[in-house]
This record gives sequence, C-alpha cells and structure tokens, in this order.
Amino acid sequence: MDESRPPQAEVAALLGVIERMAADLALAEEPSRFIAALEAGRPPVPDEPR
Amino acid sequence: MSDWTLEGLAAAIRAGQISPVEATQECLARIARLDGRLRAFITVDRARALETARRLEGEQRRGLWRGPLHGVPLAFKDLCFIGGLPTSCGTKTAEYFRAEQDCTVVTRLVAAGAVTLGKLNMTELAMGPFGDNAHHGHAQNPWRRDHCAGGSSSGSAVAAAAGLALGAVGTDTGGSIRLPAAACGIVGLKPTYGRVSRAGAMALSWSNDHVGPMARTVRDCALLLQVMAGPDPLDATSSPLPVPDYRAGLGGGVAGLRVGVPENYFFQGLDAEMEAAVRRAAEVIAGLGARVGELRVPDPQTMSDVTNIVSRSEASTIHARLLRERPHEVQPVVRTRLELGMRIPAYDYLQALRLRARLARAFITEIFAEVDVLLAPVIPEPAPPLAHATLGAAHELAERQGRFSRFTRPFNGLGLPALSVPCGFSSAGLPLAFQVVGRPFDEATVLRVGDAYQQATDWHARRPALD
Repeated sequence: MDESRPPQAEVAALLGVIERMAADLALAEEPSRFIAALEAGRPPVPDEPR
Repeated sequence: MSDWTLEGLAAAIRAGQISPVEATQECLARIARLDGRLRAFITVDRARALETARRLEGEQRRGLWRGPLHGVPLAFKDLCFIGGLPTSCGTKTAEYFRAEQDCTVVTRLVAAGAVTLGKLNMTELAMGPFGDNAHHGHAQNPWRRDHCAGGSSSGSAVAAAAGLALGAVGTDTGGSIRLPAAACGIVGLKPTYGRVSRAGAMALSWSNDHVGPMARTVRDCALLLQVMAGPDPLDATSSPLPVPDYRAGLGGGVAGLRVGVPENYFFQGLDAEMEAAVRRAAEVIAGLGARVGELRVPDPQTMSDVTNIVSRSEASTIHARLLRERPHEVQPVVRTRLELGMRIPAYDYLQALRLRARLARAFITEIFAEVDVLLAPVIPEPAPPLAHATLGAAHELAERQGRFSRFTRPFNGLGLPALSVPCGFSSAGLPLAFQVVGRPFDEATVLRVGDAYQQATDWHARRPALD
C-alpha cells in the first residue's frame, strides 16, 4: 500500500488553491479579521448602538 | 426513563417524581445492558456517578438546588479532561491528554447539577467522520447493526440516541458534532466560534474547534447550551459577548423568517432519500410561515479547502510528539492525515488564515443580507456500513472521509452556528437529517427554527429498538 503518493497530490492541490486565492490579498488582511467579521455579523440587539 | 427528554427528566426530578439516584441507576443499568454492543463509552464512572447522585438527592431533600440540570445524568466525549478519569482522546494511550484544570464545559454542567456517567467513545484524535475506532471498538449505530455511528463524537451521539445518557458534549472541527447527530437521529449544535469555551478539551485545530451540546431534542440542546456558553478566562478565543436566553425564543415560531436553501454545492451527489427528506423539511418549515427560497451561496468548496489547510496544519503541530515517538500506535488513516499536515508550509497556513477572514466576511455580508438562516443537508447519505469506514487503503479511506464531511466543514471555517436536526428515516431504517445555519452568535434563531420543526413533526420521538 503506497500511503505517501496520494497525500502528496492532495497537499499539492490544496496549496494550489491557496496560492491562487492569496494572490490579491491586501496588506491589511490579517487573520484577526475573522473574529471581527463574526462580531460584525451578529444579529442586532434592540437598543444597542452598532 | 429511556424515552424521556433531558428537559422532562429535569422537571420530573424537581417535582419529586424520580430521584437523581434512580435516574443515574437507570442509565447505568442501561449502559451495562447495551453498551457491550453499542460501544458508546470508553470509561463508565459508576462509583462517582452514584456518589454524586446521592449527594444531589440529599441536597434536594434539604431544599438545595444546584441548577437546571440537578440530578440529570450526562456523559462527555473522551477529549474533555476530568481530573481522576483517563482522557484517551480515542488513542491507545489511556491518559493521552492532561489539562491543568477540568474542562470548562464539564465544570459548568456539573455546577448546574449534572451527574457525570463517564467518558464517551470517539474517532482517534477526533480525526474521522465515521465513528470507527480500532483501539476502543467501533461505535455502533443504534438504528442498524454494523452501520457507522458517525464521528468524531460517535459515543456522544450513540449514548443520547440509545438513552444511555440524557445528553452529551461533543466537539466539531469539520462536522464532528453534526455528522454523528445526523447519523444517529439526534440533535447536535455546533455553536458560533468562541461562543463556548474550549478550555480543558483536547485541541485538534485551535482555529476550527467548537464544543457543543448533543441530545434528542432542540429544547434539550438549548438547555445545555445555556449552561455551557459564555466567556471563559481560560480560553482566550472565547467571546465576551453576552449570552442571550436561548429557551425564551423557543416556541416563537418561524412566521416571516427568511430561510435559504442553497441551490449550489449541497445537493450535488446527494442520496435521493436524503434529498427528498431535506426538501420535505423545508416544506414543513414553509408551512409554518417561513419564507423559504433558493439562493446561490459563495463556493463552499473554497472555504472547505482553506479550512482543511488550517485544520491539518494545526492538528499535525498539536500531535507531532505522538507522530514522532509512537507512530505505530496511530491508525494508518489518522497517521496519513497527520503526515499530510506536516507537509504544509507555514506560508500557506498563514495565507489560509488570512483568506478565511476574507471569505467569512464576504459570506456573512452577502448571505445574511438575503436570508436569516440557511437550510441544507448534513451528510450526503444515510450512515454507511462500518466496512465503508474501515476497509481499503489509508488514502482511499481519507477520500471517503472527506466526501462524507463536505457539507459540514465549510461552516467550521466560517465559524457559524449550525444545528443538525433529524427529519426522517431511509428505507433501510437509518436516520435522515438537515442542518440550520445562522448568523454569527445567533444560536437563538437557529434553535427556534429547529424547535419549530420538531413541534410540527415527531421524528425526534422515535426510538431505536434495542431492548
């Protein structure tokens, strides 16, 4: 059973996706903006300033 | 008592109709009778469970009341650290994981009066969607012998479905609460990222791990979430946002709510009976007054790929020592996946984290401008035979695993709350299910939709023939 070749191919495919998509990331785009996206997307709470 | 809901048992204990000791003894007797076949538990903590139940019964006689779970027997996935009990995380090593303090959600549930029955079976290191485990025995689907229970929180789903415990805690990194919940015909909630503390639970992927409740009804999950949720100084990723009253919104109905059924991705390659059941569930919800329509969602495969890069990198980092020192102890398919993570450069891992933020912001802005929740399948087919999960080369098994979790993984990367709800049975007698996905921190709406569906149907009231 060859366990090494298929995973290498899978890694290559996944890395290809990242490479293509990351090409136009702006300098300001950093991982912490994920939490900011969640907090900004939460449902409005009555009487709470947004 | 095996027919009771958690909410019903808690009320019956409070009314003096059944005592905490009687409830605990009944669960322990059921575990003794059925778990040799079902393999839901790795550790049954009989002595401490009875001791706790007796103490709670004494407190009740004195008029003391710990909380909404007073005397209710629960069980916890075997990656939740509890002092005095082994935490194998599904590995061969009984005490694989130790934490400085007990798992926060367990501490909170016990403080609310829960009795700990023991620790539940799981896929090795929480890696795998089928519930197979070569070290502790394959968890068995209660509805059909030799079929998968789903994973990785396999024992949690089996215990709740079979009435061995009234509810359970699971964790979800790529679907590990929702997949077994769907396969076993119970309810499972993956909350918003940060809504429930991860402290004291073994990490598989810090960025994608979620801890959540599993039980027979949406109302029971709401009750458990109410106790589990909230900020925790022991988990820097837990959210400081206030926790609403989840149960207050139940029973409010879904009239006027905008429900979106994705027209891309989620119905491709879907089993015909599963598709029919999910579409019927959408019709039921429309019949309750919701505005149900189809919409196109941003490509979930992209988010799934990004999530995969992040999860695999982090999992390999976390379990590097096991892989380096005792690789022979790890099941081949798990080892293959860990080795894969070792080959991902830091550059790509960090780019994936940056991309995740962008994709999440775009998805949330675009989708929730159109709808209040999404409704989609959880698993692509009813629980397959165990042989499907265990036979074949490691890379073939890994491919099957990826296919089985393709509808759940995108929502881990997006961090959105997602609730699996049973919605029927296949011609082979296996459960069918849909998931409701909501805005960040809007578990209340997700639970309201699931509860409205359960009030209008009776799938959740059916029980597997085990006795």
